[in-house]
Amino acid sequence: MVNGYFPQSLKEALELRAMYDAVPYGGGTDLMINADPDANYLFLNKVPELKQIAEDSQYIRIGASCTFTELMDHPLTPAILKEAVSQIAAPAIRNFGTVGGNIGNGSAKADSALIFFVTDSVVHLMSSKGERLLPIKEFYVGRKQLALAPDELITELLIPKTALCSYYYKKVGARKAQAISRVCFAGLMDIADGKIIKCSTAFGAVSEVVLRLDDIDSMLAGKTIEEAKILKPAYLKAFEQAIVPITGRISAEYRKDVCMNLLKDFLDTSGI
Amino acid sequence: MNTITFTLNGKAETYDGPSGTRLLDVLRDNFKLLGVKCGCNEGECGACSVIIDGKLANSCMVAMGSVHGSTVVTIEGYAVTERYAVLDKAYADVSAVQCGYCIPGMVLASECVLARNPHPTEEEIRDGISGNLCRCTGYNAIVHAITSAAEEGKGLW
Repeated sequence: MVNGYFPQSLKEALELRAMYDAVPYGGGTDLMINADPDANYLFLNKVPELKQIAEDSQYIRIGASCTFTELMDHPLTPAILKEAVSQIAAPAIRNFGTVGGNIGNGSAKADSALIFFVTDSVVHLMSSKGERLLPIKEFYVGRKQLALAPDELITELLIPKTALCSYYYKKVGARKAQAISRVCFAGLMDIADGKIIKCSTAFGAVSEVVLRLDDIDSMLAGKTIEEAKILKPAYLKAFEQAIVPITGRISAEYRKDVCMNLLKDFLDTSGI
Repeated sequence: MNTITFTLNGKAETYDGPSGTRLLDVLRDNFKLLGVKCGCNEGECGACSVIIDGKLANSCMVAMGSVHGSTVVTIEGYAVTERYAVLDKAYADVSAVQCGYCIPGMVLASECVLARNPHPTEEEIRDGISGNLCRCTGYNAIVHAITSAAEEGKGLW
């Protein structure tokens, strides 16, 4: 008898999730670092419903068990997400690491999570009793803490189709490959007829959760480029005050400097 | 489930130990496939690379349960192919091998580069082997070897 659970369908996966205390297994690339041979895993890597990438009128829908390589190869994947996941680790990790695992790990350094934050994506959670949609900002409660009930699974990430056109993404790591983000930053600037429809930014690896300070970003909404240029110092100052980085392998001061440099570069390249 | 079944180097195999055991350990300890090396244990060095369902994998990061129904190829299985013979000669011609510890993984990474794109650019080659660390020869010789294998092995990939 082999331990662990091997669902063939989403329905079966949800039933097993409700019945047993098992660890959801996406691609294993985070879980196996602290491999426990006796762990009871719920293997989700071959559940067909979780491997879909689709779209509806509102969202690009990414199944939780889609790997980063599958995202890179799929025509529906937004360019900003493709760019971010193509810089994760190296091919062998991208071939197995999944978005569900990247989110489910609860780290503020998860490079795909940053993109789901900046796009104000929605997490689709299901259990055998029902389902719910939760904005990603509400899904992350704290470091390694998620608003995930013991009987729930992350089934999809829903990326709103609005404001995906003009984006900025930079990952700062110690190397080009196999690097954990020291700081990663993403920005979206949606400008139409000379007016900013929406500006959104997100900072990863800086705080306990990805920073998405939409109250500051909203300062620029509805403004013309010229008006935004006038507001720029106040906007930057607000971020300067709001970003209080963690200290880890690198200092808080370094993280802060990189955050502000990237934010300025984002505004510059957006013509503000 | 009673048994994990998978194809290993072309042969149907079974495994009935804990499903959380790493594929790396099963390949080395149960199947004695010692070409699969353990370097870092955390998916950073690529010495344990194998090919699962056509995709390069770090076998230290793969639980046995996840390979149920999959096809696994190690360097021992790959070494009997024509493609291997081309890569083997190309690596030897430019002296791309020194201590050899990374080479089983590096060769499988090379195979995956060429399988994805038979005429890769240098950048694509470097990205393809970016998860496989070599501390002896440096990467230029290896990149040359893959480039020349792409030329010599016309039609194989």
